[in-house]
Amino acid sequence: MLEERGFATVALASVRAQAEKTRPPRALWTTSQMGRPLGEPNDPAFQRRVILAALALLERTDGPVILADFTEDPAGWRDSPGWVPPVLPDGFAAEITAILPLWHQAQTRYGRTSVGLSFLAPEAWPGFTAGFLAGALPVTAPFETAALSLRFVCDDIKALYGEAAQAVGAAPSARQVDAWFWRQTEAGRLLLALRDTAMASENNALKTVGGRFFVPVPWLP
Amino acid sequence: MARIEDIPLPTRDAVLAVPCPSFETTPFVLGPPLAERRVAIVSSAALIRRGDMPFSFGSAECRFLPASTPVAEILVSHVSINFDRAGFQRDVNVVYPIDRLRELAAEGVIGGVAETHYTVMGSTDPVGMVAAADQIAGQLRQERIDSILLSPV
Repeated sequence: MLEERGFATVALASVRAQAEKTRPPRALWTTSQMGRPLGEPNDPAFQRRVILAALALLERTDGPVILADFTEDPAGWRDSPGWVPPVLPDGFAAEITAILPLWHQAQTRYGRTSVGLSFLAPEAWPGFTAGFLAGALPVTAPFETAALSLRFVCDDIKALYGEAAQAVGAAPSARQVDAWFWRQTEAGRLLLALRDTAMASENNALKTVGGRFFVPVPWLP
Repeated sequence: MARIEDIPLPTRDAVLAVPCPSFETTPFVLGPPLAERRVAIVSSAALIRRGDMPFSFGSAECRFLPASTPVAEILVSHVSINFDRAGFQRDVNVVYPIDRLRELAAEGVIGGVAETHYTVMGSTDPVGMVAAADQIAGQLRQERIDSILLSPV
């Protein structure tokens, strides 16, 4: 659409088959995983190579449809043998309390956090989620529905744990973070329970949100 | 990995089955050498500024992201849970390569980086995105931007 309006565009394509179907003016398919179109984090040299390969397509004149491949695999996608997952206590409330210092370390290490969609502090999450499991439908500002309030708390929980997992030492792969979260943490078990509760709810919005936006299908039991 | 064989089932099947739009025209805009091009990013990660309402499911809106926005203030509010977030948690540039573009501009590889970048919810039907495209185009013209890097998730 932007090309129709007079602007030269180049798209990074995470899934080659989709680029083949949509036929944008210029697309660069990369082997980077979905969610990391520019490659691995903290690898500026690799990111630069991807961008330069994409921008180079702007100078080609053999359109109107160009699909090029960037087949260099990013180095960091593989599991890290040096990563040590956090060891945490039982119970979500105790687990959150224990993991907060790691989360703060991550903020120092990376200079930022991606937690914040829910507008609720982590200390409030145990009580908030317990309310849902008990059958309540709490709504928290600025959201107008319980479904949205819960959806974004779940997003924030995943973000906090993801950051804590990457706080110290060797960086884990995306797969290692997911496997640890969904199989070894109380938070992962909590989100599975919240999904079950939401899908059993008579609240249709909650049913939809719980079924689609809490737990990725590969991690369902 | 985004090789099809590396995407786990059933996400792989869902990704391949996503209905992709077809377009009647195939516009192709030529322009100046790369060293003269002014580049903006359009991200489909539903990026928001901390404190703003997240994008809603099915949203056809577009939001402007000033280049001056500190990266610590940028969050991902995309509705899909089927892509990795851990990379963004460590480095915003895996999704929004603002630092990489700035470096290229400083080196003279590109002519400049836009003062405004753009963010949409990538899972929205493109048919509903015409107004957003017009909105983005208007701002791009104001800033004399000629080239767009489209970054998915």
